[in-house]
Amino acid sequence: MKTSFPRCAVIGIALLLCVLSGSSLATADAATNKKPVLISQTTNTRAVAFESVTMKAEPFALTATVPAFGADPRTRICIFATDLELLPGEGANAFTSDVQDGTGKIYPLRVEYVGRVPNFPGITMIIVRLSDDLTAVGDVLLRLNLHGMSSNRVRVAIGHTGGGPADDPGAVATPAPVTPPAADLPLVPDPFTGPATEADTVRFLEQASWGPTPAEIARVKAMGFMAYLNEQFNLPTTNPAKGSNYPDLAFPLDDSSQQCPVSNPADPNYNQAVCVRDNYSMYPIHRTFFTNALYGNDQLRQRVAFALHQILVVSANSEVSRPSWMTPYLQALDRNALGNYRTLLNEITLTSAMGEYLDMRLSTRTNPNENFAREILQLFSIGTDVLNLDGTPQHDSQGNTIPTYSQNDVNEFTRVFTGWNFATAIGAGITNFRDPMVPRGGQNHDAGSKTLLNGFSIPACSSPNGTANIVCAQSDMNAVMTHLANHPNVGPFISKQLIQHLVTSNPSPAYVERVARVFNNDCSGLYPQGCTNVRGNLRLVVQAILLDPEARGDVKTDPNYGKLREPAQYITGFLRAFNPKSFDKTTTSDGTLGNRSSTDFTGSLDQPIYQPTTVFSYYQPSYEVPGTKILGPAFGILSTTTTLRRANNINTLVFNGVSANASPTPANPDRPRGTSIDFANLEALAGNPVDVVNALDALLLHGTMNPQMRTSIINTLNTINDATITTRNQKRARTAVYLVATSSQYDIQR
Amino acid sequence: MAINRRDFLRSSACALGSMALASSIDTFGVVHALTPQGATDYKALVCIFLNGGNDGNNMFVSLDQYNGPAGSPVEGYSNVRAASGLAIAQASLLPVSPASGGSYGFHPNMPEMQNLFNQGKLAVLCNNGPLVEPLTRTTYQNGTGKKPLQLFSHSDQVGLFQTAVANTVSQTGWGGRVADRTQSLNGSATFPSNISIAGINLFLSGVDTRQLAVADSNTTLANVLQLNMSGTSSEQASRLASFNALRTLDNDFKLVKAASDTRSSSIQTDIALSSVNPTLATVFPNTSLGRQLKQVALLIKASTDPTAGINMKRQIFFTQIGGFDTHSAEVNGQGNLLTQVSQAISAFYAATVELGMQDKVTAFTMSDFGRTFQPAGSGLTTVGTDHAWGNHQLIVGGSVLGRTLYGAYPVLRLGGPDDTDGGSNPRGRWIPTSSVEQYAGTLATWYGLSTADLTAVFPLIGRFPSANLGFLA
Repeated sequence: MKTSFPRCAVIGIALLLCVLSGSSLATADAATNKKPVLISQTTNTRAVAFESVTMKAEPFALTATVPAFGADPRTRICIFATDLELLPGEGANAFTSDVQDGTGKIYPLRVEYVGRVPNFPGITMIIVRLSDDLTAVGDVLLRLNLHGMSSNRVRVAIGHTGGGPADDPGAVATPAPVTPPAADLPLVPDPFTGPATEADTVRFLEQASWGPTPAEIARVKAMGFMAYLNEQFNLPTTNPAKGSNYPDLAFPLDDSSQQCPVSNPADPNYNQAVCVRDNYSMYPIHRTFFTNALYGNDQLRQRVAFALHQILVVSANSEVSRPSWMTPYLQALDRNALGNYRTLLNEITLTSAMGEYLDMRLSTRTNPNENFAREILQLFSIGTDVLNLDGTPQHDSQGNTIPTYSQNDVNEFTRVFTGWNFATAIGAGITNFRDPMVPRGGQNHDAGSKTLLNGFSIPACSSPNGTANIVCAQSDMNAVMTHLANHPNVGPFISKQLIQHLVTSNPSPAYVERVARVFNNDCSGLYPQGCTNVRGNLRLVVQAILLDPEARGDVKTDPNYGKLREPAQYITGFLRAFNPKSFDKTTTSDGTLGNRSSTDFTGSLDQPIYQPTTVFSYYQPSYEVPGTKILGPAFGILSTTTTLRRANNINTLVFNGVSANASPTPANPDRPRGTSIDFANLEALAGNPVDVVNALDALLLHGTMNPQMRTSIINTLNTINDATITTRNQKRARTAVYLVATSSQYDIQR
Repeated sequence: MAINRRDFLRSSACALGSMALASSIDTFGVVHALTPQGATDYKALVCIFLNGGNDGNNMFVSLDQYNGPAGSPVEGYSNVRAASGLAIAQASLLPVSPASGGSYGFHPNMPEMQNLFNQGKLAVLCNNGPLVEPLTRTTYQNGTGKKPLQLFSHSDQVGLFQTAVANTVSQTGWGGRVADRTQSLNGSATFPSNISIAGINLFLSGVDTRQLAVADSNTTLANVLQLNMSGTSSEQASRLASFNALRTLDNDFKLVKAASDTRSSSIQTDIALSSVNPTLATVFPNTSLGRQLKQVALLIKASTDPTAGINMKRQIFFTQIGGFDTHSAEVNGQGNLLTQVSQAISAFYAATVELGMQDKVTAFTMSDFGRTFQPAGSGLTTVGTDHAWGNHQLIVGGSVLGRTLYGAYPVLRLGGPDDTDGGSNPRGRWIPTSSVEQYAGTLATWYGLSTADLTAVFPLIGRFPSANLGFLA
């Protein structure tokens, strides 16, 4: 914390703690699963709590009786906890807190201070600020969260005592022990070099791949996460020259009517629909995307590349609509997903696809176009607000956020990016979307000096014309890439979004900070294996994200934890869990899910792969779930329409499969094989519905299934009693899979 | 084998009942179920969002300023826009003579808007945009005036228009907050008041109000929300009971509960819509916006048809058409979009006339921002414009006091009195002369938002000279 807060007077605390006594505290679980324990009174769940300045006990006024926080009069209260396992240096920004009133409404509280209580080594004092929308509601239940684990809830009176929610089921008093406990030991990061638990392996593979398969669960559980990451970092791609799984595609004529005429007398097998499909639709890329996701080994690269695609967006939904035009962009994402951020930013900037999508190729000294300059700042690198290292916005003395750049800055960046165009045409009538853009020369690049951010400037080039103009455009590009990649916002801005894509929508600021530190210097994290003191090493950034204490553990109980599975992850993850095959189960799926001519499965869920509506992607990282005050980016496309389509897609896959079809021609079908899934393992267990449900609990919910959910599904399976046992078992297995996979519990990866 | 879907849903409604009741407040914010006395009349607001930032400078042109001073490179529509190929020929603009004075022309692809304007059913609000307080070029440039957050950025400016809160990042839209405060007008009706035909948006999301999102009229209302289940009817019923019951569990986890609430909303509405089948004689264009506005008209008919049992009194709709971010290829790009906008709005107005509800329904446009008066690039097929600020909006309906302009049309001069930009290359980004709060406040007041609630919904509205711009009767 940058501000030091008044602490509750030590003597007062000591006195109060001394008169409290009670039973022993809850015992700790596994290392990353330790739950904080909030201290209550001896005989009930009422918190030991003080107003932070006056030391007065509850009920707490909303406004501090003695102002001590400058212009902010809101009351702060002190509470006390044990069983905190903090990383060295971890403080208030590792915690979140909330209270719930008698109507069920939840109010987040800001945790402003965390510190040891002198002379009581195992007890930690925490200061929270009452939220602005909290009113004098009477009793509330207060909770503290750390590393994804929630504490017991203790009762605090706001305004007056009484009312409020009932205690949580099974809640007991958690008084301070008679003898102060020994100091909490710091959290020692697990090296993850040994075997893992099954539950955490499932969770890990949900985060690091397109979804756990039974075989991968067994393999990764045995090898451990560090070994798995090292394997993934070094796996080859199917197109090694490009460092990508996307094959090079032939570049057709720009004019589709010439490339794909109605008929071609020279080729008896020619079919116009096939020609259009393969050259002018996203069909080839969608097939590659889904077959790689279902069967490819380099799962981590694919997940990270898809996350980066949603940060550095080129969409095929408008100008860049051809698969061959998108391919170099997708290859650059693959090539750099586990590489370096600056290289990624530079290569994506210069793809012809980006030049076309955000108009940089049109921008010249005399006709500048701001589109790319604005979006590279807002979306691809630094964002709109000046950030702290932990990803929270900085504020000025009036409490306002601070803009990272102004319109004048956009104008200056626009000048930096002037004077680029496609490279020489591939052939007559074939625009060069294959190679990176090149400077136009002439006087098209603005060779004057530019003032960029934080006092950085680019001097004017000595000679602005011709070849010198080309050199100037290139040197300016090099300078601006270094300038942006070194901006202090990049670490937290990119790190937080990657955490949101892979692990959880609401990471604690401390988690963001740990990852951002690794972004800034890859040797500064908990897992520096392989580091070389470089900035923007995405490989170790991803390692830091996936191995962080907030990511790992068998179960997370923080009520804000997790993320909605985005459609691509939802569909591929579901298929991977159940041995996806062709429709006739003789070979692999063709990866064509649904109908190419309209929308496939993920398209129907508002996530058409590589075709988001705008440069703001399929949904925004800042999207707040209505009514919750927490972020849920993928909820931005979970509507009353798409929620039913999620269930309907699962219904199709479970009960019918996606059949092969012969369109557009029998010789060259859109869905040559179709897709189906295999429940043989579950059918073998279906004589006893409990076994089926247990298997699905482990595979899809990593053992967190609610007992009532279990009972409900088992009861439903018990109603299925077809006389033919194989029919019965098939129906039971399918019904169980449908119910778990369509549940909100499975929707949320946590 | 397959049973009728309506019977199927009805038969399962009991299983859903207790759960649905418990969660109804969290699904659509249906608090109005507790207050049986509603309004006696019906009113609807229909937002048409032109996503990407519509170039109002080419949608509605001042003919008085068409030719600026001869030889001036910075003043006058033609002087600034013709050389690059962006200007529309004066003869092809569709002229109108507003009661407020002057001569103006609609984009040549908008004859239907010219027609509605001349009928007095359409008004143009000129140079409107997000403001924290009234601003002038002087107070903008010398920094003494407060500016909205993140001017000229798409996502933020979409937010500023949809939230009508210009000085902070709001997580509720003004359509949602208006619905929060007018729930009682819907009496005991439990159908969602806020409906999007264009996916989830901030505009319709309130503190308590949640939005229904449905597909366009390619899908009939009865089938617009449809849960498909395979198997025999008894297997389906058993499976559905568990499917519904699981949503009552694990609500301590906020994201799990949020996913459950969305699905419960959907299934409740599915039941309400499963027996309606409204039709319209009005022919809509078969474009995305045409199909969206047709679905709105069908929903209005279903929601107000006494035999359908829905009986809503107040509704807010959201439709959207994208593609307006014309940094390049604007001439054809925007032209095609404006054709769609004009034809769809015209058909929608005709449908409200068919329903006899033209005075009860007001449609209005919003867009991220206007675009730079000075072009970006040049050449007929490539020229475009960059992000700017103040913009012109259209308001259509029987209650609109039309055939006139509201607000002040900007002076078409780079670096002129309405331009934010100084320096050597001003681009022409107009400083709005009325705020989104005033625009929205006028619409909301017509809709039935009380004066007492006006400042709660529009916290900055008191900073502006008038809370009502006067374009609605």
